[in-house]
Amino acid sequence: MAGIKVKAKLKGDIVKVKAMVKHEMMTYNMAEKKTGSRDNANFITHVSATLNGETVMDMSTSQFLSKNPIFKFEFKGIGKKGDKLLMVATDLKGKVYKGKGKIK
Amino acid sequence: MERRKFLSMTLGALALAVVPASVRAEDFRKAKPAVWTAHTVDDAIKAMYGSTALTMEGVQLTAPDVASNGGAIPVNFSTDKDVKSIAVFQDANPEAAVMVVSTTKYSVNKYAIKIKMAKSGTITIVAQGNDGKLYAAKKTLDVALGGCEG
Repeated sequence: MAGIKVKAKLKGDIVKVKAMVKHEMMTYNMAEKKTGSRDNANFITHVSATLNGETVMDMSTSQFLSKNPIFKFEFKGIGKKGDKLLMVATDLKGKVYKGKGKIK
Repeated sequence: MERRKFLSMTLGALALAVVPASVRAEDFRKAKPAVWTAHTVDDAIKAMYGSTALTMEGVQLTAPDVASNGGAIPVNFSTDKDVKSIAVFQDANPEAAVMVVSTTKYSVNKYAIKIKMAKSGTITIVAQGNDGKLYAAKKTLDVALGGCEG
């Protein structure tokens, strides 16, 4: 069961997050080369992060992010130490990956 | 209707087999489908914002001058402007759009990602200001080992 590794740290009034999703991020070209069919392409298409029900980050992504993509992002105005940041990622085939991290 | 027309316009411009499979990119939740199938940076920017008029300021972009591994190129970008979204494009892969992040009311617009580039090229970051301007920054880099073949 694949998931997202989330590390969140509160620095001053900003929460800095580093997240990693384990995913092949197979591009259409790679799928064709390695498996002979572009239908086998699969990569993360959307990632979002929520805290206490509020969305703090929302991004749509493509096949051009690296394998096992790492994202770093920041937000402020919400979240204190101990709060849990939830992250959800979806891939082209519809599989959902989840992860959470406590703000340290 | 408009999307199909745009898709067929973009598709018509391509001579490659990349085209038919790219249409499957339409299940991206947020951005407009034509953005993800656009081959050139200009087409993707036009599909995303309706214009290619960029204001080359307000966005900071850091990426290595030479990427030793084209499969994992660190790209850091940020903006202090009041924006609704930030998009990353490059001209070294079959399609130009890499990602689009929407600003939430909590966002501190500073991001770091790792991308793949098949060959040397230019990365363009476009931040859509709430004032209607498209703030942008570009960086051209050399890629030692192409990144699309894994």
